[in-house]
Amino acid sequence: MESLSVWFVLAVETIVAGVLTFIIPRVTRRGLLFGVYVGEEHWRSEEAGAITRAWNTSMTAAIVLSILLGAALALTNPAHPAAVVSSLLLLLAATVATYLWAHVRSRALAVSGTPVAAAALIVESPGALTVPILATAIATIGGAIAFCYAWLHYGDIPSRVPTHFGISGRPDAWAPKAFGSVMLLPLMTAVLCPGLGVMACWTARAKRAIRQADGGVSLAAQLRFRRAVTLFLSGTVVLVTLMLASMSVASVRVALGLADGLPAASMAAAIVLVVYAVGGSLYLMLHFGQGGARLEKSAASAPLTNGLADNARWVLGVFYVNREDPSMLVEKRFGVGYTLNLGNPKALVFVALFLVFFVGIIWAARSLPHTR
Amino acid sequence: MDAALVIEIDRDRDEPAYEQVAQQIREAVATGGLKPGQLLPGVRSLAADLGVNLNTIARAYRLLEEDGFVEIRDRSGVEVAPPAKRAASGAGHALREELWHVLMRMRQAGVPLQAIRREVDRQLDKLLSPRRESER
Repeated sequence: MESLSVWFVLAVETIVAGVLTFIIPRVTRRGLLFGVYVGEEHWRSEEAGAITRAWNTSMTAAIVLSILLGAALALTNPAHPAAVVSSLLLLLAATVATYLWAHVRSRALAVSGTPVAAAALIVESPGALTVPILATAIATIGGAIAFCYAWLHYGDIPSRVPTHFGISGRPDAWAPKAFGSVMLLPLMTAVLCPGLGVMACWTARAKRAIRQADGGVSLAAQLRFRRAVTLFLSGTVVLVTLMLASMSVASVRVALGLADGLPAASMAAAIVLVVYAVGGSLYLMLHFGQGGARLEKSAASAPLTNGLADNARWVLGVFYVNREDPSMLVEKRFGVGYTLNLGNPKALVFVALFLVFFVGIIWAARSLPHTR
Repeated sequence: MDAALVIEIDRDRDEPAYEQVAQQIREAVATGGLKPGQLLPGVRSLAADLGVNLNTIARAYRLLEEDGFVEIRDRSGVEVAPPAKRAASGAGHALREELWHVLMRMRQAGVPLQAIRREVDRQLDKLLSPRRESER
């Protein structure tokens, strides 16, 4: 029964992730092909079509193989922590390999030379930051409550603390009391949630991408898309904060013997978060397309400008590196959303801090002597 | 949403990027595309959108301020300046001299007098037509 449920979970995860990879080429801005600016005419060419068809075939095979191989692993070793995510990891590896292959083929169609840089002389509305700032404030307060609650009760916590909760909300793994085992989740809540809030604020001020001489259509589409992504991220910040903060407080209460398991609110927040994240991502992709490309319609035949059109500024079509550009976030070339400008020192500091924190969390979690 | 005024930088041109930005804003102010009192994007915002160094935009705005096209305010940002009621003493003379030099250079470059006259009329029309539109 346990093997079957594990297989079901991983099959659903893989199918959802696989559907997203299928959608990406269909919602991509006209002129961009697997992270390469090939121009609006080449984009419709037979060569471009062949690359996209090959991507679809490869990804279909990757999804089927990932589910089968993941199922085999889950059925033979369901207790292994990687069992639930094994097919997702396989799909991720296949997606990266297929993308690189498609990217290299697309380079043959790349537009050469330095593109024109263009910007609209419009002033940002200060109101655009209200929602993400509010979300960041909620995340900071939620993180502070989670951290302070665990910190203040640290002395009263007995020698054994819960470190994992099952689907019923009851603890199913325990560890000896230590700073790591008690403070890991509160620390994660206090750092990760405001960090996500900062990303939402940056998104509200992300670089505006426009097309040349299109009468402002691409700019209007881009602004609507950016507003929608900002709201989506702000909602994610609030939901993640509610989930992590309530779990953090609940785990301390369980350790103190004040509760038997996670409250229903934590479980509900987790389910709402998954539905919101998947549904929101699909809505953004299908309604707006990449950077609002689906709202551009006839204007989409005008050439792209700035970093989006500048092949020299992109490494493998996914990493934007421009030291001249003070932007923190720029529109992705492959996928829907925004990515960091790795030529900006502030962005590099942010990435370094995130990596240190992420590695630290994994190290702390792995070094805990769990018991079941 | 109305079509927003767009400025462009072509890096293949010899003209420096800050001068290209300044020139397009001058033209937009002179032809009525930008109205007095209208706010322009901040240095960081415009530099980020164009993907250029902050100093490029700061220099363009300083040039425009020196020429009287914009006013840089600490809090409210960069604002399009209204045209001066009277030319500052000496400024009119210097600008007339500049125009005279341009006309002489056109003549020396072999542009016929009729063509120079037509060009001056065309430029004046371009300068005045948006104002006429707004006066109606």
